[in-house]
Amino acid sequence: MEAEHQVPAAPGAASAPRVQPAAATHGGDPLEGHISKTVDQSLSDLRIHAVQMGGLVIDQVGSAVQALTERDVRLAELVLSREPVVNDYETRLDRDSLTFIALQQPVANDLRAARAIARVGLELERVGDESKKIARFAARAGALGQNDPVVAVARYLRHMATLSSAMLRGAVRALDESDPALARDVLAMDREIDQEFATALRQLMSFVMQDHQFLGATIDTVFALKGLERIGDHAKNVAEQVLYMVEGEAPRKKASAGGA
Amino acid sequence: MSTILDTKTPTHPRQAATMQGEIRAQGSDTPSLSIVMEDRKTTRANPAKAAAEKLNFWYGSNQALKNINLVIPEHQVTALIGPSGCGKSTFLRCFNRMHDLQADTKYEGAITLRPDNVNLVGPETDPIEVRMRIGMVFQKPNPFPKSVFENVAYGLRLRGINNKTELAERVEKALRGAAIWDEVKDRLNDSALALSGGQMQRVCISRALATEPEILLFDEPTSALDPIATAKIEELITELRQRVTVLIVTHNMQQAARVSDFTAFMYLGELVEVDATSKIFTNPAKKATEDYITGRYG
Repeated sequence: MEAEHQVPAAPGAASAPRVQPAAATHGGDPLEGHISKTVDQSLSDLRIHAVQMGGLVIDQVGSAVQALTERDVRLAELVLSREPVVNDYETRLDRDSLTFIALQQPVANDLRAARAIARVGLELERVGDESKKIARFAARAGALGQNDPVVAVARYLRHMATLSSAMLRGAVRALDESDPALARDVLAMDREIDQEFATALRQLMSFVMQDHQFLGATIDTVFALKGLERIGDHAKNVAEQVLYMVEGEAPRKKASAGGA
Repeated sequence: MSTILDTKTPTHPRQAATMQGEIRAQGSDTPSLSIVMEDRKTTRANPAKAAAEKLNFWYGSNQALKNINLVIPEHQVTALIGPSGCGKSTFLRCFNRMHDLQADTKYEGAITLRPDNVNLVGPETDPIEVRMRIGMVFQKPNPFPKSVFENVAYGLRLRGINNKTELAERVEKALRGAAIWDEVKDRLNDSALALSGGQMQRVCISRALATEPEILLFDEPTSALDPIATAKIEELITELRQRVTVLIVTHNMQQAARVSDFTAFMYLGELVEVDATSKIFTNPAKKATEDYITGRYG
């Protein structure tokens, strides 16, 4: 992922004309075609903001890991400075979905969409949190020498960042296009990231057995790897919300041992 | 410029809108961010179109309105809600002097209409003049037993417009404005009473629109209609605010939530609370309002 030392700008500036969700371009979109244009507009706005938020957190993940593996303190600070923006998106999605439910009394797929999008906001906000933690570590890790745990597992960090970003991208795109097939692809990707995490942990263990000097940094690196693994889980949850929104049922989670 | 979703991702028409919330760096060394996002729905009040000031109203010795102070913002929809008998319809009817038709009623205070500040309820004001400027749509569709065309042309003829071309143009404009032109353009000479309830109601809205009123009053405009006809009228009301200021009385709180920008809650002839509709229906300031909209009394 090519992150740059600048804030990503909007493809269209804020003054650009708003793209109306024209029925012509979205023939079968389940979120459109109401008699009430207010409902169309509200749902479209909710989804656009969720997709924008998704774009931002995908960049946060890539930038945080790049900052860590390339010892780029400035990039780490950029990630940290954008964290409040991620939170603002979550607050806004939460508020707007609540207002939409209160004022428009949506039912069926509209109600599911409002609820799903609010929960997507929550998941993406947690992705933002994980990125923030990695960026904090990156900002601290700037002084470390060459032979440290981050270097030992840099390859895994990068690969897991690529995987989790791809999952997030797929999940956000599934939301954007109301596409259950894309969402299912995301679910299938989670296994690979888990395997990668297990491999990276083994690698770190052998590293720390040889050299105790960087025990603190090793623990931080474990957290960074775990964060990326969690990001994969959050992406999976986003995809499940899309399935719930489109199809009315999310894939079943495993029941607890006690049963319910 | 780096787009946030990279080039392999959404090839969606809406992608152009992605990140239309502007994120910009302030300063070059330590980038800090501010995000500017447009408001989904305006909750700021436009300038006032009308204002009730210390308005009191009596049916005989029974005081139906008690010291009402309410600003009606221009080109926005203001909804009046409250239990039966709270005075919301009485208040609405003050605007076009409907009570003048009834003996033994008394107004006190003022409803000032902007920009010329005429007092709608002042004894010096001619009710006919008032009704020219303020249209009304009632609960039950009440078209005249005439053709669709004549229903809409009626008010125009009263105003002395008899030129056929001009009449035809203005009737079409009014019918289009009420989103019913396409449904009746081939039946303009049929009796309006032959239409469906929802269509009749939209013809009545056209009739009110034809004379280009400044304020349109709706008194329970959909309580006699089925859900689809209701949805069409509601959509029409939200569109109408671009042309006219709307004041609507409704028993249906959900309708107030759906169509209005501002909601006023009335109880026992008093105005309890008025605020942006999104505020009233998510976090009203007064407990009485919350109890009413959540169905705890009323």
